[in-house]
Amino acid sequence: MNTSKITQVICLTALTLLVQGCVTAKVDEMTYNPPEAGVGASSVVLLGRRHASNYDTERDFVQCVRSHIQGKDDTIEVIEESQFLDALYPWFEPRTAPMHPGAIRELLAQPAVASKIQELDTQYMIWIDGNTERTGASGSMTCGVGPTGAGCFGFGTWSDESNYEAVIWDFSNQAEVGRINTSTSGQSYMPAVVVPIPIIAPVQGTACDGIGEQLLQFLSAKY
Amino acid sequence: MLGSTTIDKQDSQLRATALALCLLFLSACGANQVIVESRFPQPALDPIPMTVGVYFSEDFKTHTFVDKPEAETERGWVVETGAAQMSLWQTILNAMFEKVVYLEEAPSTETPNTEVQSVLIPTISDLQYAIPAHTNTKVFELWLKYDIALTDHTGDSLAEWSMTAYGKTPEAFMQSNQEAVGAAATVALRDAGANFAVNFPKVPAVSEWLQRARDGISSREATP
Repeated sequence: MNTSKITQVICLTALTLLVQGCVTAKVDEMTYNPPEAGVGASSVVLLGRRHASNYDTERDFVQCVRSHIQGKDDTIEVIEESQFLDALYPWFEPRTAPMHPGAIRELLAQPAVASKIQELDTQYMIWIDGNTERTGASGSMTCGVGPTGAGCFGFGTWSDESNYEAVIWDFSNQAEVGRINTSTSGQSYMPAVVVPIPIIAPVQGTACDGIGEQLLQFLSAKY
Repeated sequence: MLGSTTIDKQDSQLRATALALCLLFLSACGANQVIVESRFPQPALDPIPMTVGVYFSEDFKTHTFVDKPEAETERGWVVETGAAQMSLWQTILNAMFEKVVYLEEAPSTETPNTEVQSVLIPTISDLQYAIPAHTNTKVFELWLKYDIALTDHTGDSLAEWSMTAYGKTPEAFMQSNQEAVGAAATVALRDAGANFAVNFPKVPAVSEWLQRARDGISSREATP
């Protein structure tokens, strides 16, 4: 009984992995002065840009990139976004966040800010700007419940598009040292004959892996 | 005797059930109630070497936004921000100034406060919100407008200006409308604190007042 259940779960997982939607991804990278021996004991912070009126960089995307970096090289200390924002409140809120690396000098001129930055030992600040949005959806699906059971019939499809840019600032030199762009798009499908089968294109996940991998190459001594 | 106790018990059980049903009915038909979270981080600010008085009116301390529904089928909103406002402003002002004196009464010529030279009086002049049902976008938004007055210890105006704050939160899976509006309000309050702390010295009249106060301090220090 247990073996049969495990087999079912494995089959379902394999099926889900097999029927993932297709994603097209493009990553552009331009970095200079990468730390030759990695960031060492210093820390890095990843922050989402949220100053635009029509979109916010998703917090879960920033968290995904952080997990990707730390999952592959646990020697890199990546400060959690909310911890950094709270420690340096009110200087990194959407309204007050510096828009160019030169503004860091002005911030560090304030003893309270300088001591917090020193406490966190932040070497690189990485700003992630962008979002994932649904660019189109079509199809229809009808679901019903009857005395003999429930079921759905129909077909739905939708497309998602991600555009993100990571800008790396070096805190010690107060200069920009890299820029990584990623654009991904993908089409997801949901056919339903009694049971709906979602075939999801991992658009945001692919963008996260793309940016995470490039940042890892910049920050890690292992890559 | 035993019989009457049983009847009393049954009676109280019935009353409790009726009360619970009434509350359930009222909560289903009543307004969306939101109490905004009131914890804010300690600001990284270098305090201005001054003592200021701060007066919060009763309306400010208990600020509640009430929006009645337009149609009978809709639910209204009651957003309580008073406690969160107090927490935010006290956190910000205590970090911005060397000493803050919280006043029980607004400064006036009849009741001047000699402990302070100047008094800050923030008031909330407007609050607006938008939920996905209003705008067809997937965000909850909240706007706040403050009127800030800076007076001397007798209540004479030194500066007056307005300040806005904005907060939005995305429509999140498994998050109720109340939780989302509460989260947007917390973001708006953080923005209010950031706006005030960063832009306070840039308000022209405030900048002049700060310069006069600094000149006063340095001339007092220079006098043997």
